[in-house]
Amino acid sequence: MRLAVFFSFALSLYPADQNSAAVALLARKCHACHGPQVQLSGLRLDSREALLRGGKQGPALTPGKPAESPLFRAISAGAKVAMPPTGPLDPAEVKLLGEWITAGAAWPADTVAAAKWWSFEKVKPVSPPALADPWARTPVDRFILQQLRAQGLSPAPEADRRTLIRRATFDLHGLPPTAAEIEAFEKDPSPTAYETLIDRLLASPRYGEKWGKHWLDLVRYGDTSGFEQDPYLLYAWRYRDYVIDSFNAGKPYNRFLKEQLAGDELYDEPTAQQGTGFFTVGPNRDMLFKVEDINRVETLTDFVDTTSSVFLGLTVGCARCHDHKYDPIPQKDYYRLQAIFAPIVKSRVFLTYNLARQYDLQENTRQWKLYDLADEFQRLKAPYVKRLRAEKLAQLPPAVQTAFATEEDQRTPQQKADFEMYTKKVAPRDDEIFALLTPEEKTQLERLKTRLLALYSTYAPGPFSPSVTDSGPVGPPVYLPGQPNAEARPGFLSALGGGDIAPPPPGAATTLRRKALAEWIASPDHPLTARVAVNRVWQAHFGRGLVATTSDFGARGARPTHPELLDWLANEFVAQGWDFKSLHRTLMLSSVYRQQTRPTPAALTKDPENQWLSHFTRRRLEAEEVRDSILLTAGTLNPKMHGKPVVPALAAEELYGMSQPLANAWVVTSDPTEHTRRSIYMISRRNFRMPLLEVFDRPEGVLSCSRRESSTTPTQSLSLLNSDFTRQQALALAAASLRGDETAIAEAIFRATLARRPDANELDLARQFLTKQTQLLGSVDKAAAELARGLFNTNEFLYVD
Amino acid sequence: MQPSRRHFLARAGQGFGLVALSGLLQEKLLAATKAKRIIYLFMHGGVSHVDTFDPKPALAKYNGQPLPGSFGEGLVTSRIDFRKARMLASPWHFTRSGQSGLEISDLYPHLQKHADRLAVIRSCHGDAFDHAPAINLRTSGNQFPGRPSLGAWAAYGLGSENKNLPSFVVMSDGAMKSGAGAYGSGFLPASYQGTTFRSGQNPVLHLASPAGIPPASQKETLALIDRLNRRHFATREEDSTLEARIASYELAYRMQAEAPDAVDLSKESAATKALYGIDQPMTDDFGRKCLLARRLVERGVRFVQLYQGTNLGDDWDDAHLDLLGSHNKMAKKSDQPIAGLLSDLASRGLLDSTLVVWSSEFGRTPLAEGKNGRDHHPYGFSMWMAGAGIAGGRVLGATDEFGLRAVEQRKDVHDVHATLLRLLGLDHTQLTYRYQSRDMRLTDVHGENEFTSWLLNA
Repeated sequence: MRLAVFFSFALSLYPADQNSAAVALLARKCHACHGPQVQLSGLRLDSREALLRGGKQGPALTPGKPAESPLFRAISAGAKVAMPPTGPLDPAEVKLLGEWITAGAAWPADTVAAAKWWSFEKVKPVSPPALADPWARTPVDRFILQQLRAQGLSPAPEADRRTLIRRATFDLHGLPPTAAEIEAFEKDPSPTAYETLIDRLLASPRYGEKWGKHWLDLVRYGDTSGFEQDPYLLYAWRYRDYVIDSFNAGKPYNRFLKEQLAGDELYDEPTAQQGTGFFTVGPNRDMLFKVEDINRVETLTDFVDTTSSVFLGLTVGCARCHDHKYDPIPQKDYYRLQAIFAPIVKSRVFLTYNLARQYDLQENTRQWKLYDLADEFQRLKAPYVKRLRAEKLAQLPPAVQTAFATEEDQRTPQQKADFEMYTKKVAPRDDEIFALLTPEEKTQLERLKTRLLALYSTYAPGPFSPSVTDSGPVGPPVYLPGQPNAEARPGFLSALGGGDIAPPPPGAATTLRRKALAEWIASPDHPLTARVAVNRVWQAHFGRGLVATTSDFGARGARPTHPELLDWLANEFVAQGWDFKSLHRTLMLSSVYRQQTRPTPAALTKDPENQWLSHFTRRRLEAEEVRDSILLTAGTLNPKMHGKPVVPALAAEELYGMSQPLANAWVVTSDPTEHTRRSIYMISRRNFRMPLLEVFDRPEGVLSCSRRESSTTPTQSLSLLNSDFTRQQALALAAASLRGDETAIAEAIFRATLARRPDANELDLARQFLTKQTQLLGSVDKAAAELARGLFNTNEFLYVD
Repeated sequence: MQPSRRHFLARAGQGFGLVALSGLLQEKLLAATKAKRIIYLFMHGGVSHVDTFDPKPALAKYNGQPLPGSFGEGLVTSRIDFRKARMLASPWHFTRSGQSGLEISDLYPHLQKHADRLAVIRSCHGDAFDHAPAINLRTSGNQFPGRPSLGAWAAYGLGSENKNLPSFVVMSDGAMKSGAGAYGSGFLPASYQGTTFRSGQNPVLHLASPAGIPPASQKETLALIDRLNRRHFATREEDSTLEARIASYELAYRMQAEAPDAVDLSKESAATKALYGIDQPMTDDFGRKCLLARRLVERGVRFVQLYQGTNLGDDWDDAHLDLLGSHNKMAKKSDQPIAGLLSDLASRGLLDSTLVVWSSEFGRTPLAEGKNGRDHHPYGFSMWMAGAGIAGGRVLGATDEFGLRAVEQRKDVHDVHATLLRLLGLDHTQLTYRYQSRDMRLTDVHGENEFTSWLLNA
């Protein structure tokens, strides 16, 4: 009775907002594991009743008595079970909860619902701020300007047309505009010249090659498997082409993602099913021996981690081993996701059914014919093999000869070892054999060769694309680690509404789990999908996402700088049919995109990272852009699209360290005109990156890469300066520029590389340079190549304003 | 990713890593240790521990017999079956060496003379039994490729002492079973990547001017680039990355001057060369690499990783079929060079501040593969360290009586990495890089079993 009186007294004195603060603290720090979705140890901390009821260890709380409350003991220093597991609370927070319990642990009526993480809440309907300012052309500008004003900053003036077309062309094509394109744009009198430019760029197939690469970074694309043998993923490039084509076709993002996650379960068209190549183009060690179980685990881990980071912007990987410490993702959820992918088996899509069948039949027949060809070849060689082998064997120690003479099942262990060790050494080489053949036999060999060549004269990759499907309508069970009885049922993240995936209807060919996942992610109501997608596009245009951590929208990620703008864009994206091209227009037509790069001194002090966008952020070209720009400006770029990866010729010193013999690992494409195609078509081996691309921060293709580094190193400068590639391209450009006197040559090379005329100073400099280099190198064409090589290495060439 | 100050500086591109430690990291430095740099001798392909640093008389006693009872249960490896294969005595005698009497097999007669410098860890263990995953694990803490390697972390943590040379240099025999990922920078900026040095006039890729371009001409072209870049920069002075790139061309130019000098062995005395076995057919190649390593650490390179063995030539892994031949050959090729390196570092006063580490990706089975072979064995194997204040002539941990499993003082790769970082003065729990919103560490969430104090306290 006295206690009750005390409580009411204490409650009356304790400020109500302190109650809210205490309850909010519980929500923030404890609900991930003890909340509405998850109740570890049976304990939830989201209502006063629940606290008093407690969990498996009994009540969590004795109102009025912090020292007797397990909750308080757990958060106090020196606790046996120290909570939260992420690290101790601040002393002030401990004090707050202690006082709250002392005061009776009252529950404010309005905080019963769990405090939720911003990105898990539905995208809000937002209207752009009502700002009237001539600078703010578009709704995007109004959001930005509002924040700029709040920060005491103002936008930079609009960039000139040369800067704008270069920026837009690199952003959409990954290539520079030509001088002619710049001049046409500068002269275009139309008030919608800029809009026309953006539309033209979006309509070009170069667009898919640029934006396809962004996507391939995310899905850790590669043409080989990685590891010691680094075997080819023979058809991965079909997925690469599918991605390029999807961007070019303006495929809606919701469709694009559904095709990738569950094209086989959702669509009949082979071109849609190709999307499931998403699961096949990552690193794998399928061809390593004896590690099938590790493969399976690592493969499923890769599927869960990559899917959640690419489509949901969540790093769920932590929950593989324990409940996520920062995001409300319990371990159970991780294995619910894993259960979705557990039935996956690798497969292939027949792009054209009849052709694919025909291909398989041809392959089948060819194989059969090869057996016979090989037999004939063996018969032809047999007598000589025997003879040569005997000659070689005769030179070996007698014990070894005896080992060879003994029947296999009669050999002693030593003899077995000797046999194994010397088998290769006594094997005759083909050239030794061929030297001994009679003229008739040589003719026979020629006939064999002809037959063999005929079998392969039209050999080409089959009309297949790599894909996956399920092993059947029932998936293998997935268990929580160390809990052989705790089966994880396929389902979604509980913090996002959760829900189990129902078993498929009778007669279904697959589990339809990925279909359910794809539809859940592609739902317009999903709080993350559209936000994550628009934020990635924003990052690609502005250098930094509205959420700086584009693949982490969780508690460890960055908070959005412009949350309303993010939501407005997400809504707009969905409303426009999940259309990337429309999103590009929305961003690129804004005034904020058209700003100059030059910051004011105030901006540099107040916002050195330019998160409020008071000017445009200059960027260095990405690795592929460096190479492709050199090819384009040198006039050697082969614009051919699609097809199997190209292996360009590299210098021996560049190929140093390849794990497999070059004859297998670097089979240079026989047609040299292929070597100057865009970088996206060059082979991407997981064990070896082309040095020029590697030094400019091209990712390895092992983990999903959501943002590339932009480092500056002397090895970059060395490669760009001294590599054969630069030199060859410089020579090509020089050869095309050798008309007229030094002035004309200098102007031609400036115009090709920097897409402008040199000013008077530069012209002087260039002419002197050409004169000097002609003396040093003995010819004007070599001097011109040096000018080209120099200009390829300038910051004006390598950076986009 | 939250750009840290360190990250910003790396981007601002003061060449290879950083000239001086930023305040941020200095706070994280631990109590002074002597190691300023590491030379890591990586025996590629798998060295047999029971034939080098971990003598097992039981193998001789039971030679030719299968393992008793259930000893072989639960172990898998590349080719042999632990339940059926037979024990194989070491063909080499072990000699008690130095004052300490440390047992080293006669594969290493030169190294035996340095026994009192070596601290041998006989209880290394891992779970990857194929080369590429095991090399990835040893070098980056993860079987899968894509993580920054130890050398990259060290370069990131310590910065550079010489801005004209990379902080992390790698010399290999060529093709590695793991590919170049073993010395990659993973998600760290590319400036921390291991730079491959080769012997000869052009130790670094693209160091030489293009063929047919004489130095005077190269200098003109560099001057042109510099002139144009400075004009470009004049209207963009607020952007330090542009300035950094201008500087990177100056650095590249200085490297063209300094790197060939660093690798120019003609300046070494005949006595020094002889010490490393240079000009002897068997030891010339690795001897040159070891001498290069000394020249590089002398010039401030932080981490030099030498790989002996290659996927496409002579390799420790030839022990599958020919233990005797492969180990005789590979040890012969590296014994005198390594011993020479230790002597040379010591006589120049560099050994006190240079940590020399010797390891392989795994050991080899105490059981025979064929008659004269040993298979891959990650469950118990040896490594050693010397220099940088380490008290040598001692052994940490032990495998069981057959050399099968590490049983005492078990040390996994994270424990080793934590120790190596600690010896460099870096706390492995504090040396982090924010990637995908996690503060990533070389040791992930492991490395609780480091043994620095054992190494330093005799």
